[in-house]
Amino acid sequence: MTVTVDAVEPVRHRAGVLDKARDILPKVVLAPSFALILFFVYGFILWTLYLSFTNSRILPVYELVGFGAYVNLWSQPNWYVALQNLAIFGSLYIFFCIAIGLTLAILLDQRIRGEGVLRPIFLYPMALSFVVTGTAWKWFLNPGLGLQRTMQQWGWESFRFDWLTSTDMAIYTVVIAGVWQASGFVMAMFLAGLRGIDSEIIKAAEIDGASTFSIYRRIIIPLLRPAFLSAVIVLAHMAIKSYDLVIALTGGGPGNATELPSTFMYSYTFTRSQMAVGSASAVMMLMGISAIIIPYLYSELRERER
Amino acid sequence: MARAVSTRRKITFTIIGWTVGLLIFFPVLWTILTSFKTELDAISIPPKWIFFDWTLENYATVQERSNYFRFMMNSVYLALGSTALGLIFAIPAAWAMAFSPTPRTKDVLLWMLSTKMLPAVGVLIPIYLIFRDWGLLDSRVGLIVVLFLINLPIMVWMLYTYFKEIPGEILEAARMDGASLSKEITHVLAPMSVPGIASTVLLSVILAWNEAFWTLNLTTSNAAPLTTFIASYSSPQGNFYAKLSAASTLAIAPILILGWFSQKQLVRGLTFGAVK
Repeated sequence: MTVTVDAVEPVRHRAGVLDKARDILPKVVLAPSFALILFFVYGFILWTLYLSFTNSRILPVYELVGFGAYVNLWSQPNWYVALQNLAIFGSLYIFFCIAIGLTLAILLDQRIRGEGVLRPIFLYPMALSFVVTGTAWKWFLNPGLGLQRTMQQWGWESFRFDWLTSTDMAIYTVVIAGVWQASGFVMAMFLAGLRGIDSEIIKAAEIDGASTFSIYRRIIIPLLRPAFLSAVIVLAHMAIKSYDLVIALTGGGPGNATELPSTFMYSYTFTRSQMAVGSASAVMMLMGISAIIIPYLYSELRERER
Repeated sequence: MARAVSTRRKITFTIIGWTVGLLIFFPVLWTILTSFKTELDAISIPPKWIFFDWTLENYATVQERSNYFRFMMNSVYLALGSTALGLIFAIPAAWAMAFSPTPRTKDVLLWMLSTKMLPAVGVLIPIYLIFRDWGLLDSRVGLIVVLFLINLPIMVWMLYTYFKEIPGEILEAARMDGASLSKEITHVLAPMSVPGIASTVLLSVILAWNEAFWTLNLTTSNAAPLTTFIASYSSPQGNFYAKLSAASTLAIAPILILGWFSQKQLVRGLTFGAVK
């Protein structure tokens, strides 16, 4: 007995010193990342907020003048165009991404052949920069080339698909490209949810004679509620942030027909030298996204405390 | 949900699945095919699918006219530089949270991830002003720092999910055996965390390679990567489709190849660990 204690004692002593290091070290190594994110994100957001209350034009001015920039922002017809486009784009984008993503996930869940190869293919649009994949889309949507001309050549003379150059319809081409880009991503989120469902529940329902359709409608889809929630949150914030879709596809045009808040912010700040108005629009976007993610984060936190 | 599926249904679903897969992949495939066409074939109606005169001239022209290689090297520098910088900060942070969790750890992680959801326009003006005052506009160093900062939360999160999977018992066993902290790191942690770090590197490289918002706004030519180059090259009208496709193909090739050989990591990385 004594012998064993003697043998263990020095080790335990050394571990004591190390334990102390182990206590402090995690905080020390976490601190830089924490501080950087805090400063970089919140520090700079405060800076933007401050600028939105000034009169800055091409150069920053640090004299506070109140809500002038906000009044100015909300009197810009362009800003309303951007908001309206965001509403159209955001709602269609979220709806179709979820509809297609869920369908694809259910399809892939049928143990089809080569699932491992299909999964990255479905995700490729998300993995590739849209600035680059937009090249093919511009050809495809171009009425003089792409789909319209090809269909007409094949004998469907009256076929029209000129949304890209139409002021009223151009925003829908952004929706199409956006849905193409994110559907596979949403599919992956739903697939994870589907794979997490306990197969015993399904078996029990099958034994009770439930049809496949009603199993999906009554059991599986309700169980996917958390996946729906995260998909909506992720898509909603991506919609507000959308920038390269518009830049690559339409450049905001024709005219300002596909202006979104992020392109509005950019053009007012840098092209039109209205830094305060640009800042104000950035603050509005921050508030919009916060309105989506803060309740979500709050519910996540509350969930865990239960 | 794993279920028995009849063979016939399986074949039907496999065909549907692959058809959809092909449709989704079509724009990418089309870009690659177009890059080997002459400008005339690229805009010919009806479109030529594979029966055209295959040519490499677009690649040569793009390089000749615009020194394509320089933009590509900028993309490489930015992706690798920001990733390396990110690892230096993210590995210790993720390690700390995974192996010495406190009651606040989850909150910190969630908070970090939430910052990634905020729109980049919220911090664009301050960064632009700092860059202008410090002469960092259109510089590689400046852009590496920005890309590092915007991807840091994701890197910490990714590494955390991987480190979390390393069983704590192994570390405890090593400590019991009297392994010092440095031994613990080099002999136990390092070998076990290589796959996680590799996946995180992959994700970070992809995100940095694709980054368009910051590169478009902070660079013009010197430090401009492929995304900026392609955005500036693209005029939707005119006879540039084949050349633009050549430039685009080279820009997506690394991701297509990386993604193919590391499918699992790609899926996991893009879904932030939701799909393993």
